[in-house]
Amino acid sequence: MHLEIGKFEVKDVQFGSKTTFAEGLLTIHKEEALQVIYEDERITTADLVLAKPTEPVRITPVKDAVEPRCKVTGESVYPGVTTKVLPVGSGRTHALKGVSVLAVGKHWGGFQDGLIDMSGPGAKQTPFSQLLNICLVADTNETFEKQEQQKKNTALRLAALRLAEYLAEPVRKKVPEEVERYSFPPLAKRTQELLTLPAVVYVLQLQSQMLEHGYNATVYGHDAGRMLPTLITPNEVLDGAVVSGSFMPASSKISTYQHVNNATLKRLMKEHGTTINFVGVILSNLNVQLEEKERAALMVAQLASSLGAEGAIVAEEGYGNPDTDFILTYEQLEQTGVKVVGITNECTGRDGRSQPLVDLSAKADAIISTGNVSEHLKLPPMERVIGELEAVARDGNAGGWNESIKEDGSVEIENNAIFCADSSTGDHYKTVKDY
Amino acid sequence: MPVVQLANLVSIAKTVGANRIVPAVAIPYPLGDMNKSAEEQKSLRKQRVEVAMQALLTTIEEATIFEVKK
Amino acid sequence: MKKAVHYLNQFFGQIGGENQADIAPQLHEGHVGPGMLLHQKLAPVAEVTHTVICGDNFIGSKTDEAIEQVLTELETIEFDIFIAGPAFLAGRYGLACGALGKAVQERFRVPVIASMNEENPAVEMYAHELYIFSGGANAAAMRKDVKKVADFSKRMLQADKLRPAAEEGYFSRGKRLEAFDGSNRTGAERAVEMLLKKLNDEPFHTEMPMPVPAKVAIAPAVEKMEEATIALVSSGGIVPKGNPDHIQSASATKWGKYEVDALYELEAGSWETIHGGFDPSAANQDPNVIVPLDAMRELEQEAKLGSIHPYIYSTVGTGTTQAEAARMGTEIAKDLQRANVSAVILTST
Repeated sequence: MHLEIGKFEVKDVQFGSKTTFAEGLLTIHKEEALQVIYEDERITTADLVLAKPTEPVRITPVKDAVEPRCKVTGESVYPGVTTKVLPVGSGRTHALKGVSVLAVGKHWGGFQDGLIDMSGPGAKQTPFSQLLNICLVADTNETFEKQEQQKKNTALRLAALRLAEYLAEPVRKKVPEEVERYSFPPLAKRTQELLTLPAVVYVLQLQSQMLEHGYNATVYGHDAGRMLPTLITPNEVLDGAVVSGSFMPASSKISTYQHVNNATLKRLMKEHGTTINFVGVILSNLNVQLEEKERAALMVAQLASSLGAEGAIVAEEGYGNPDTDFILTYEQLEQTGVKVVGITNECTGRDGRSQPLVDLSAKADAIISTGNVSEHLKLPPMERVIGELEAVARDGNAGGWNESIKEDGSVEIENNAIFCADSSTGDHYKTVKDY
Repeated sequence: MPVVQLANLVSIAKTVGANRIVPAVAIPYPLGDMNKSAEEQKSLRKQRVEVAMQALLTTIEEATIFEVKK
Repeated sequence: MKKAVHYLNQFFGQIGGENQADIAPQLHEGHVGPGMLLHQKLAPVAEVTHTVICGDNFIGSKTDEAIEQVLTELETIEFDIFIAGPAFLAGRYGLACGALGKAVQERFRVPVIASMNEENPAVEMYAHELYIFSGGANAAAMRKDVKKVADFSKRMLQADKLRPAAEEGYFSRGKRLEAFDGSNRTGAERAVEMLLKKLNDEPFHTEMPMPVPAKVAIAPAVEKMEEATIALVSSGGIVPKGNPDHIQSASATKWGKYEVDALYELEAGSWETIHGGFDPSAANQDPNVIVPLDAMRELEQEAKLGSIHPYIYSTVGTGTTQAEAARMGTEIAKDLQRANVSAVILTST
């Protein structure tokens, strides 16, 4: 399997009379872009607002982030979600780099929605403050969930996927500045040279704890909560096979942007052929019953050992009871003889003195920690808010509470509310240390 | 005052120091089952509560998980 | 200029050796012995204005009395920081620095900085309370240890952002909080590097050392269930519709107590779950799947238990820290003890 990602570095974004990309400048014809949004009749009002690094801007409630991408063949970037199911992972995909489309609620937030500060002390919490953000600020007629803490945010999240494809269209036939190449030869056809290197798998535990359809992360459009762990190629993940859901508290969430840019996966592909023989990705999930957790852990370990894996990196999209899925999988792999490194965040409380994970194991001796969900943050007021600040306090945000917003516009929240701040895909510098 | 914890994730209960533990059905419905009728659920619930009461009546030396028949 | 008070034992306080270890606490103006070095190193941010000296045996055997005397003396002066030692490997001296330091910190709300060797028994006892810097085994390390303490004290007095324990050089205070990787390596880079080390059997350092699981004393069993009063407690967020106590859906700090004496079951529509960490549909359809009041009532009617406590207790256990959960648990337990409840059925989600 051979995938090429053609990269177009975006240095600035502006609105104009035609959607174009030239010499690093992305120009958006707003009315035309909004027509793409309004294709879904559930969208009642929509606007596009730009937020750039270092601006005094706060964005919330952010529901997902998407990188503008298109396939040079014109086929769908997120099959099974925006169109019928199609294969991904080979051929040529073009991507606008340094820019992200954010799905932002005009009014309504919820448990999983995030906050991004483009400057000030909050900016360093999340890598999304470093991107040129094209905010789709919209409201929908999904009245059935307006008052619900748990929202599927279906119309808004799909609209962001459509908008991202529309924005990449101008570069579809252009020659990219740089091409990333991902070759993933079939396991049975690997060279002797590769086979002498230690085999490594990547295990991604997707958020999938909601029982009803529409909340969980999806794989080719399929609800990750309704699958047994499955083997997939890195190419497919880096090319849109996985789309983020709408349930996990923001800091623990892996956005769609992060799935196709999965930093750990890219790093493993870079090592492939020199220090390791990378044998694939096992997509697993996070469950609500012990038996399901145990079954998933067994299946992951079985797949890994069938592949001859000697090493594994396990990433958990979540915290709390999913720590049990994480620890069980860690233990099962180690028991099978696979050496594991885990990536997860922790929940040590405002004073840092609580147990980091709810489940523990002496076998879990190699963990990369990406954040403390309950880190207490006081963020100064921002000149401009994109979306609605009240949502953090009013709508049951996992990191906010009734008194989170002060009169001067400053906010007091837990890290839980910061959008994709504890990136378990490994694209951030944040960690947790002893003080 | 003895406490019995009905928990689906028995390993977490053990980790935090619970001494009498009875496994529950699932995280969102520890004493129910979405795939069963209301009556079946109630009898399942009663069965597990009775195991919990038995756990409270049992003298133990170390943290113990009281298994429930499937 | 900020004011520092320095604590020394009889030996470093230049009163005498073991034969002077029984002397009572005394407050001197200015610096004494190694205090001169501390004084110099604290400049220009702070100065050592006073020195407290006490015999190791006195404070060791009459700890409360010694501490009270020192605190009373300190009431008469103003100071911004309290620096104890360095105590190196001296056990009694280390314990004196720890006990007195803790008391001073609590009474005067000033930072307390100490320095000891890692083998000093006081490290384990007081590392969570004070900033204790890792020091040498004996006075040969004086210059180095005093400099570390003084540098840190100056930054503390200037309200600089403090770095993690390992970077600063103090023993962990048991607080795990966020930091940014000093060498700007992403999680992905750190993970792959750690995996390669583990694969090659090279030493590696986890970023999350596993704590040892908690142990709780085992309560005696209920003797006669027919005479017992059983209470229902849950972390599954079951509350009367509308959540009257505004218990948070995640990271809860509140718990609620709700009367169920007249109820045969928890009816859908009147009760709901406000727990944010799972799909609430099953519990909202039938709240008894989390708080099994209906099953308990049947058992009560069948005389299989004495009675059901008239109140249920509820909070939310998602993102709720161990510390908050322990506090709420203690509060609920006290309430149950006051009501002479015999045993508890705790349901968690």
